[in-house]
Amino acid sequence: MSDTTPVIELVDVTKQFGSFKAVSKASMAISKGEVVGFVGANGAGKTTTISMLLGFIRPTEGTVRLFGKDVTPQNAHRSHERIGYAAGDMELPATLTGRQYLDFLLRQSGTKDRSRLQALIERFSPDLNKKFKNLSRGNKQKVALIAAFATDPDVVILDEPSSGLDPAMQEAFLELIKEVQARGTTVFMSSHYLQEVMSACSRVILMKNGQFIEDVDTKQLMAMGGKRITVKSGYRPTKPPKKAEDVETTFENDLLTLSFVYKGDVSELQSWLAAVKQLKDIEVSEYDLEETFHSLYDTEGDKV
Amino acid sequence: MMRSVYLKTLYDKRFFLLGWTLGFMAISALMTSFYPAMHQEGSISSLLESMPAAFKGLVGSLADLTRFDTYIASQLFDIRMPIIAGIMSIILGIGISVADEEKGELRTLLSLPVSRTKLLTQRWLAMLTIMVVIGFGMVAGIYAVLPFIDIASIEPDVLARLSAMTLLIMITFGTIPFAVGLATGRRSVATGVSILIVIGSFLLSTFAQAVDWLSDYEPLSLLHYFPAADIVKNGIDLKDVAVFGVVTVVLLVLSIAFFRARDVA
Repeated sequence: MSDTTPVIELVDVTKQFGSFKAVSKASMAISKGEVVGFVGANGAGKTTTISMLLGFIRPTEGTVRLFGKDVTPQNAHRSHERIGYAAGDMELPATLTGRQYLDFLLRQSGTKDRSRLQALIERFSPDLNKKFKNLSRGNKQKVALIAAFATDPDVVILDEPSSGLDPAMQEAFLELIKEVQARGTTVFMSSHYLQEVMSACSRVILMKNGQFIEDVDTKQLMAMGGKRITVKSGYRPTKPPKKAEDVETTFENDLLTLSFVYKGDVSELQSWLAAVKQLKDIEVSEYDLEETFHSLYDTEGDKV
Repeated sequence: MMRSVYLKTLYDKRFFLLGWTLGFMAISALMTSFYPAMHQEGSISSLLESMPAAFKGLVGSLADLTRFDTYIASQLFDIRMPIIAGIMSIILGIGISVADEEKGELRTLLSLPVSRTKLLTQRWLAMLTIMVVIGFGMVAGIYAVLPFIDIASIEPDVLARLSAMTLLIMITFGTIPFAVGLATGRRSVATGVSILIVIGSFLLSTFAQAVDWLSDYEPLSLLHYFPAADIVKNGIDLKDVAVFGVVTVVLLVLSIAFFRARDVA
């Protein structure tokens, strides 16, 4: 595998269950060291995509590659030697304790050095002595995350990894992502928490109805946010500027409140503001990230 | 302790192993302890002789009850043990194959560097080990009671032959749900096919003795290849061993082929 070969690659991948297309013509490439977020609503096809990456299921069409090699259910275990995986709803062996499972995991992967495991245990402080069937969801999730990183893998694939973690543990998890990224580990993570994705990832892939609708740099996504402008005026016929989006208008006590998202040229906004009659108040704030995302999701999703 | 899928499976099934071993031990001990009564009651033989053919099938072959080896062959190994072993094997085969997938634990295992072939073979070997231990339990049950019955004795090689064939039929019975379960991932299919074969074999072998047209189909029953009374008298027929061997190997090979290629939910 050359340095330029994508570590994770999907080429025109489709997965069909009966007549239902869970994933349709999906393509992407992730290079070594990238931390890529994978975002979409429930049922968008994220878990199906991850299941194909791990070789749990076969694509109906297209090719899945890890480290430059095609992944199939028959050979997936070979790539798993270099992969760590955790999922929010991961079912860990009910009859084992966390300690027994981590021991089993390290033996299966042939990892002899336990210092990494020890460091992760100290970081997340899970209860390792209870059987999984008696363990809380948060504790199970901690063990699953430790297992994903314990073998110091080249690629970590995470499917909604921090669901069930308390805020302090979520923070510890994000720190861990930053640390492994600095070491050159590739991370591909799906998440419902956009804030988590934005703070951990350098790139975001957006999925809707089985299709990748957007593959965007995180900084670009942030820039797409624009500003939310809220203007109060005593002049009722006031109209928003031409480039205004997501406009909301209310009129109460002879006062018009006009709120909109503005992503255009600031000087144009300035001119528009100067022309507003009976201006009483102005409020400018960063457009909420969630709103940016939903706006993008709805706009791009409609094209699907 | 958790070095491999094999050891993990044994660990997961430790209570099953203990319970069924004690159960088999108790059944064989009980059947052995009944021998003096059966032996002394000469009229039982004539009673059995007077029974309808279908009923004879249910109580076992009409072997000579004056000898312990033929008694234990007909009353324990001929019908009762294969049926109990069949039930145990179905429960075990299902538990080791589809139960993990239904709980979602199979995906967790498959996310590790463990090949599907390795996972399947190690689990099958664990099932085999459990059956061997249970088989020893069955033999131990007989030997636990035998010293207290003066009139009963059995040559070790005779008991070894009967036990070996019981183990063989257990393995075949267990491999059916195991293979179907891993090949399809569906408990209903695995259970249905297994019950059809195990209970079907039992019914076929039982009623073929009374229903003329059924007797032509009796070789389709797996129990046909476990003639306990003949094993005591004439030893093991290698053709019978071959039938169990071929069925087991074919099922295993097919399950590996299907399990390696299918989607895991």
